[in-house]
Amino acid sequence: MGKLDERVIIVTGGAQGIGRAFSMRFAEEGARVVIADINGPAAEKTAAEIGEAGGEAIAVPTDVSDHESTEAMAQAVLEKWGRIDGLVNNAAVFQRPQITRGTVEEITAEEWDRVMAVNVRGPFLCCRAVLPHMKARGYGKIVNISSGTFFSGRSSTQYVASKGAVVGMTRTLSREVGDFNITVNSIAPGSTASDPERDESNYQGRVPDRSIKRVERPEDLAGAGVFLMSSDSDFMTGQTMIVDGGAALN
Amino acid sequence: MGRLDDRVIIVTGGAAGIGRAFADGFVREGASVVLADINGEQAERSAEEIRQAGGQALGLTVDVSDQAQTETMVAETLSRFGKVTGLVNNAAIAIRVRHTRAPLEEIPLDEFDRMLAVNLKGVFLCSRAVLPHMKEQGYGKIINMSSGTFFNGRENLVHYVASKGGVIAFTRVLAREAGPSGIRVNSIAPGLTASETEEHSLEEFAVRIPNRAIKRIEVPEDLVGAGIFFMSAESDFISGQTLAVDGGVVVH
Ligand SMILES: NC(=O)c1ccc[n+]([C@@H]2O[C@H](COP(=O)([O-])OP(=O)(O)OC[C@H]3O[C@@H](n4cnc5c(N)ncnc54)[C@H](O)[C@@H]3O)[C@@H](O)[C@H]2O)c1
Ligand SMILES: NC(=O)c1ccc[n+]([C@@H]2O[C@H](COP(=O)([O-])OP(=O)(O)OC[C@H]3O[C@@H](n4cnc5c(N)ncnc54)[C@H](O)[C@@H]3O)[C@@H](O)[C@H]2O)c1
Repeated sequence: MGKLDERVIIVTGGAQGIGRAFSMRFAEEGARVVIADINGPAAEKTAAEIGEAGGEAIAVPTDVSDHESTEAMAQAVLEKWGRIDGLVNNAAVFQRPQITRGTVEEITAEEWDRVMAVNVRGPFLCCRAVLPHMKARGYGKIVNISSGTFFSGRSSTQYVASKGAVVGMTRTLSREVGDFNITVNSIAPGSTASDPERDESNYQGRVPDRSIKRVERPEDLAGAGVFLMSSDSDFMTGQTMIVDGGAALN
Repeated sequence: MGRLDDRVIIVTGGAAGIGRAFADGFVREGASVVLADINGEQAERSAEEIRQAGGQALGLTVDVSDQAQTETMVAETLSRFGKVTGLVNNAAIAIRVRHTRAPLEEIPLDEFDRMLAVNLKGVFLCSRAVLPHMKEQGYGKIINMSSGTFFNGRENLVHYVASKGGVIAFTRVLAREAGPSGIRVNSIAPGLTASETEEHSLEEFAVRIPNRAIKRIEVPEDLVGAGIFFMSAESDFISGQTLAVDGGVVVH
């Protein structure tokens, strides 16, 4: 018996990194997982791995910044499983592709727009696509992935601004949809070793700031994801949970 | 298989109300619990009910503001269960223990002192009592109960709200201090919760409903999921945080 038995959960950007860790854990807890990623082949691969491990998952190639693509994604899920219980807005541009790490003058307006399109418009469009169904059912769990950099300010402006917007969206939407028993919360990870091609030694920089002094891994976030997708958090909404080994304290 | 199998958890103020709901939830997930309450009779009655239902529970008479009693609490836990995995600093002058609700000038000085002694120094003393063992063990989970009133600045309750702000500050410092020893310290801030419904009417607990995203009365069971999460390995990379569980009144 898993904590997420029966639940159908969409994880955007679920093919790799943190989204992949969420997808694998949700499936272990009994959920049927939808991997909605712009990288179709990688999404297929993760879905297949979940299947081999005895779980249930489908890949739905999706560009979260594209309105039609997000609508088609929700439609495909409803056709396949007839319900949507959860949505994790995890897809973001940040390291795939790598965004500029630099000052305001170094960030082009085009890059700014692209970061906002994926990191802010993306969660907005995905919520928009699933909400009619969640409202009709009178239940739903939404988690938006923000970032510890929103609290520390330690990253470049286009990224941190997008992650602050996610917290704002979480707060407003939680009030809008509470009457439908839909909870909306946010998780703010610390710097996480999510790129298997980069050695863990590249992620040591933030360790001294932490209460728990080690590198953060995608699996460290899975427990919070399960909690916020499960009925255990049904009276918690509008909140942002920092999962970073105790660096930023909220 | 529960998420708290083999864990031993002390719940202060565990005789009744939110603390009792935590204890029941922890036992369901496989933990052994110690109900440490100034109301020792009620603590023992609750522990007996848990044992009758097949769980492991010990009821103790403890005033959390008394250092010697907090040390005895830990010693008795160790002698009964051999270890302490978790501590929920939940005991407080909150609902069951009556207190003045009035503007600052009308709060009796001795009541201010007692409020801080139980709600804040109690957290300090109980943490102090479990830390040597947890450090030796290299692992521990502490939850400190704060309150949504800290975020709202609820009026006519300055002694209570000040104590609950202190709890959050305490949580942050201890998280950093004890993190290297494998100890995680977090806080839960409930909204107004119907934890006692014999002397208090349900209407009293309904006043905050309009402020909530989820518009209903909060009950102790609403907090149990967060309690289990913070006591379990699921939250092992989370420390120093305060989680508001209040149906979405404060957005934190
Ligand atoms: N890794 C960190 O240090 C860290 C820290 C804080 C927050 N975060 C956040 O966590 C989330 C996941 O991060 P990660 O480290 O796993 O990132 P990642 O780059 O490893 O993975 C992101 C995934 O999103 C997909 N994606 C990108 N654009 C997309 C689009 N338009 N539509 C659909 N899918 C798209 C990518 O293909 C990839 O699979 C992101 O929201 C990120 O901002 C990460
Ligand atoms: N009920 C609410 O609306 C609410 C809201 C926010 C926060 N909280 C917090 O949640 C926690 C539990 O609240 P509750 O509503 O269950 O309170 P409660 O008054 O119903 O229960 C508190 C328990 O603590 C015990 N206690 C009191 N003084 C003690 C002492 N000196 N030593 C040991 N035990 C002592 C009491 O006997 C009682 O069993 C408290 O920390 C409270 O401040 C409650």
